[in-house]
Amino acid sequence: MMREMWALYVREMKHWYRIKIQIFMALIQPIVWLGLFGQSFNITGFFPPVPGFDPSTFLSGAPDYFSYMATGMLSVIALFTTMFAGMSLVWDRRFGFLTKLRVSPIARGIVPVSRMNSAVTRAIIQALIVLLIALGFAYIPGLIGLTLSPEFNLIDLLGMVLALVLLAVGFACLFISVALAVENQDTLFGLINLLNLPVMFASAALLPLAFMPDWLQAVAKVNPLTWAADACRTFAFHNANPIFPVWQEILFLGIFAAIMIGVSVFAARKLLK
Amino acid sequence: MAAIIEVKDLVKVFDGKIRAVDGITFDVQEGEIFGFLGPNGAGKSTTINMLVTLHRPTSGLAKVMGMDVVKEATKVRRVIGLVPQDLTVDDDLSGRENMILQADLYNVPKKDAVERINELLKLVKLEDAADRMVKTYSGGMRKRLELAEGLIHRPKILFLDEPTLGLDIQTRTIMWEHIRKLKQEHNMTVFMTTHYLEEADSLCDRIGIIDNGRIMALDTPATLKRSLGGDVIQMSIDDARDFTPQIQGVPGIVEVKKEGSEYRVKVIKGDTAMPAVLKAIIEAGGTVSSVSLQRPNMDQVFLEYTGRSLRDAEQAENSNRGERMARAMAAQRRR
Ligand SMILES: Nc1ncnc2c1ncn2[C@@H]1O[C@H](COP(=O)(O)OP(=O)(O)OP(=O)(O)O)[C@@H](O)[C@H]1O
Ligand SMILES: [Mg+2]
Repeated sequence: MMREMWALYVREMKHWYRIKIQIFMALIQPIVWLGLFGQSFNITGFFPPVPGFDPSTFLSGAPDYFSYMATGMLSVIALFTTMFAGMSLVWDRRFGFLTKLRVSPIARGIVPVSRMNSAVTRAIIQALIVLLIALGFAYIPGLIGLTLSPEFNLIDLLGMVLALVLLAVGFACLFISVALAVENQDTLFGLINLLNLPVMFASAALLPLAFMPDWLQAVAKVNPLTWAADACRTFAFHNANPIFPVWQEILFLGIFAAIMIGVSVFAARKLLK
Repeated sequence: MAAIIEVKDLVKVFDGKIRAVDGITFDVQEGEIFGFLGPNGAGKSTTINMLVTLHRPTSGLAKVMGMDVVKEATKVRRVIGLVPQDLTVDDDLSGRENMILQADLYNVPKKDAVERINELLKLVKLEDAADRMVKTYSGGMRKRLELAEGLIHRPKILFLDEPTLGLDIQTRTIMWEHIRKLKQEHNMTVFMTTHYLEEADSLCDRIGIIDNGRIMALDTPATLKRSLGGDVIQMSIDDARDFTPQIQGVPGIVEVKKEGSEYRVKVIKGDTAMPAVLKAIIEAGGTVSSVSLQRPNMDQVFLEYTGRSLRDAEQAENSNRGERMARAMAAQRRR
């Protein structure tokens, strides 16, 4: 079983790194966002420093909005990258590769799980690249960069990666399940878009909860993207006042990931008979 | 010999109304090359897809090596190979990478895999192109790669859905050789579909003629042809007189049809009857301006059992794909 899983994982990764433009496209968006919005909407820089007022109290410990947004962007990257896992499944159906998998004697669950693994790998690689770019902004004159807590260490980095992995697992499996159920590619693209933007905006990824109306806050609190973004900030800025304690956020993300794996394997067994 | 494929009253209805396969029953013996011959939309692919566990039958029973294709699908998948009509090779991998992936999916022992892959790539003459991306391959090369992939796990039964569609005559002949060789060397059973008459005729041990989801006839090519009742001598005699009585006087003549100066003479053994027929006409003072001998071919068999020629059947099918194939077939015939 490991062998088939690995073979399909390698195939997906080959597809990814051979199509250089795809990596480029996936990165360009967050970089543009970091560059444009992150820099221009750096709200904390609009006002002269007020004595006795610390912006980090409502930015989950981030010293400025750019740092706040850059850490949230890591989760957004994970979300956007995993969406390709669903799309590639639809291509495979279209170009017949899925037929090959269906006639082969592999366990059906291998189809979503191998795909999820490669999507998660890509998501983490891209998130780490974005992290480096955000840190690098500090060295460009006139721009502000991501400022981490002075005590930021390897454990914190691993904690961030763990939160992002769990988030990516959950969303990859979600998109794969949708792609298994929806055979038409236009319907799938529509559904993915329908899902992506609300998930992104109804979360603490780009905007602190305090700026949201109550009902949106309620939605954002059950949004896995919020858990991952907030956990990342707790690690990055050693934030003392997270939305939920970090262990809870990791636990919620773990449950989300586990349920979604279950759903995708179940969907594959039902739909790839 | 035991039946390696058993099919009983198999039916497939799509969307509640399209009866693609309409109650077919047949057996395939071990080591046999069994062919389904029929026009576009006859239900050939649908039948194969049910046997290879891709489609669930609406009703009826299908067993492969005694295993039910619905209830024991995974076991069936291990012993069969499929070369589907619509290709499934991965464009963004090289030929060799595709083969390795296939070997992994079928759990071919790692130490055997490399050797087998080289052997198979050679067999389908892709050894030089093996490390190129499949997207740079021609249609025929892809088809050959697909065949090689279908063989990597040494299946007991190979399902070939239109294996030579779109291949040139040379490649097609090579493909036929492979198929025959596989059968001989590995006692592999081959179930294939085609709408090339020559292919069915020269390759298959037995042929099922399928039309509108039903089997119209099923036998060896020789028997099917014999059932038509022999050869036809076609002659043109430029003479006002009717030579029918003289021709009928020759032993072995079954029937004589005259249309103007054209005569169609049905005989049991055309090659020996023809000189006698010509002699009779010349002795009666007639001049034969042209003569040809037609042996019964699969086209006539098809006509006999379905009431239309294969070419007409193809043209009746209105789908784009149907048209494309009919054109390809006509082009093939013109060569
Ligand atoms: N997935 C499907 N949904 C609905 N109808 C289908 C489906 N697959 C096949 N059919 C219909 O079933 C009939 C038989 O199709 P099938 O593909 O088995 O024909 P075929 O004999 O393989 O023809 P060809 O020579 O063109 O490959 C056709 O009328 C086709 O339109
Ligand atoms: Mg077909």
